[in-house]
Amino acid sequence: MKGWALALVVVVAATLAIGVQGLPTHDAPEAPIHDHVGARYVERGVEETGMRNLVGAVLLNYRGFDTMVEVVVIFTALAAVLALPRAGSVADAPEALPVSPVVLFVVRLLAPFIALFAIALLFRGHVSPGGGFQAGALFGALFVALGLVLGRRGAARLVPERARPWLQAAAPLTFAAVAALGWALTGSFLGFPQAPELHAVREAMALALEVAIAVGGGVILGSLFQTMEA
Amino acid sequence: MSVAWEQLLPWAVALPFVGAALTPVLAARSPRWTGPWAWGVVLATVAVTVGLVAHVAEAGAFTYAIGGWSGAYGIELRFDRFAAWVLPLSLLFAVIVPFSWRYVVVSLEPARWGAFYALLLLVMGGMIGFSITGDLFNLFVFMEVTSLSSYALVAVGGRGVAAWAALKYLFLGAVASLLALLGTALLFVLTGSLNLADVAARLGPDVARGPVLIAFAALVTSFLVKAAVFPLHVWLPDAHAIAPSPVSAVLSGLVVKTGIVGLVRVVQLFHAADAVPLAGFHLALAWLGAVSIVMGAFLAIFQDDLKLMLAYSTISNVGYIVLGFGLAAPYAAVGASVHVVNHALIKTTLFLAAGALIHQTGFRTLSDLRGVARAMPQTAAVMAIGAVSIVGLPPTAGFLCKWYIALGAFEADRAPFGFALVFGALFIFVYYIRMVNALYFQAPVHARVAEATEVPWSMRAPLLLLAASCLVLGLLGGAPLAFVEPAVAGVLPVGGP
Repeated sequence: MKGWALALVVVVAATLAIGVQGLPTHDAPEAPIHDHVGARYVERGVEETGMRNLVGAVLLNYRGFDTMVEVVVIFTALAAVLALPRAGSVADAPEALPVSPVVLFVVRLLAPFIALFAIALLFRGHVSPGGGFQAGALFGALFVALGLVLGRRGAARLVPERARPWLQAAAPLTFAAVAALGWALTGSFLGFPQAPELHAVREAMALALEVAIAVGGGVILGSLFQTMEA
Repeated sequence: MSVAWEQLLPWAVALPFVGAALTPVLAARSPRWTGPWAWGVVLATVAVTVGLVAHVAEAGAFTYAIGGWSGAYGIELRFDRFAAWVLPLSLLFAVIVPFSWRYVVVSLEPARWGAFYALLLLVMGGMIGFSITGDLFNLFVFMEVTSLSSYALVAVGGRGVAAWAALKYLFLGAVASLLALLGTALLFVLTGSLNLADVAARLGPDVARGPVLIAFAALVTSFLVKAAVFPLHVWLPDAHAIAPSPVSAVLSGLVVKTGIVGLVRVVQLFHAADAVPLAGFHLALAWLGAVSIVMGAFLAIFQDDLKLMLAYSTISNVGYIVLGFGLAAPYAAVGASVHVVNHALIKTTLFLAAGALIHQTGFRTLSDLRGVARAMPQTAAVMAIGAVSIVGLPPTAGFLCKWYIALGAFEADRAPFGFALVFGALFIFVYYIRMVNALYFQAPVHARVAEATEVPWSMRAPLLLLAASCLVLGLLGGAPLAFVEPAVAGVLPVGGP
């Protein structure tokens, strides 16, 4: 059995290695990825979408629908974990785990800086690398680090219980709301208004999406960690 | 009609997603309203899909540019006659969700109700999106929503075997997803585009053949795993048998069909591009389908566990569909397309009826369930109608499409495949006769089976409705065949077999 598996791996790997020989190289200027859709994004992305960060332009505007489904994927992961049978609830967990003073000190020291950096990534995302997903990952890391120090019950208090399901669903719901607003303003689902007088609306829509992605992603990552068994 | 139905296309996806996101919010306040809420969301989705199907029947296939970015620059949704299967899909959810109310109340603690219904809505939205998107990467993302929620729904049932079956499903499903991503990436590097129609247009003769073939093979293999075609079916039997019965109905009736829809999309793309030798591919598909029919049926014969038997039966029925497309004859392709829907209906009927039997008696094997028809005549009758339908006897929903696939085999001058089909039907007949025999003509061995009562109306009404639909679709079977007929030319090899 193992021999067969090894043979299969070798054959598949060899086929793939030979098969991709004809691919255009990334540095070739005439490669299709540079001169078709990508070229249009580079040439007209800033002007068409009003976003100075082209990655953000593709992520939220040109291919915003993909991003909408991706935040649904993240939400699906949370729903998946919450649907599973659980050993115990947060209420059964010990008040706080014994934590080494070194860990306690480092987490306390770093927490505000992590939060600050996450917020910076979020709000600088429209001009420099960063944005909602990156900020969300950092918020999630912050929740995990605090969870280590505070224990499950302590960490559960970080997000108010009444707001938690709303925050977990923040990204899909905000996407749907922005999509509906775009539908009303431009006639297309998830359309961003291009008219100069609606420039502020367009900015607000993009900002709302980034904030929702960051908050929703961070809270979901924290909740996933919270739900894990000790 | 004054309503511009095509404008509602993205909402067919957004509605179930928004509904799913709000379900845990509602569950935090009052868990018992999550079931009716999910049902309401499904019914709203049904209303949208009815409009979409009416529009496609009237005006033909149409596209919707998300955000107003038409062509390859944004993401386009495309609604054609194959995508119209989202209507029967959401209709089946409209039956499955109320059926599951009872299961949820009995088997899950209230803290998990919201997540369970959210997953059901997510799997529905994922499948609808998968079926209506016109974009390669978007296809992958929707596949991930569908797959992730399916893995979790398998594991909802319990810790031991359910968790293990879900894990096996997860590993194989993840490999399949990676293959689809690889194929997508290769096609993007080759064409610079992700829009299905644009990729097809740009796969001209000057594009390197090797990577195109690899991309094609990766996408096809991925979707064959998702469709559970023998021998890529190993994840299916345990996952479908161990899942809660409403979930089994969703997985076996509907989720495996995303593999078929994916296959159709890939073949449409490469058919338009004329970039790979599709005739040889179709022959391989026909063989895979024939082997699946026979092996699925053969393995089903030996099962004593009712749901495991139904799970193996799905493998042979997917075989019929794949064989139908592989025969590359118009009749067979029409039959296969409609069998996607008919099998979904029949398998939902069977799994829900099996779930009702298990729910009332606590037993799940044929030898334990002997004679249950005396105590639960209505559920047993639904089971029998489902069995007759899946064997493909007239006048039930299973008959016409299998007949069309067989006709196609002879039309394509491939009579042996027609015989494989009949042979497989005989096998299937054998094990369903065994099932009907056990339920009806043997004496009960357990007091709990003899004294079982009929299921409550929240389960019985869906069952009776499904059984009636099996008969109605058998009698009115011509309409879906005629509906899908104009679309099949796009999945047949250029210039015939």
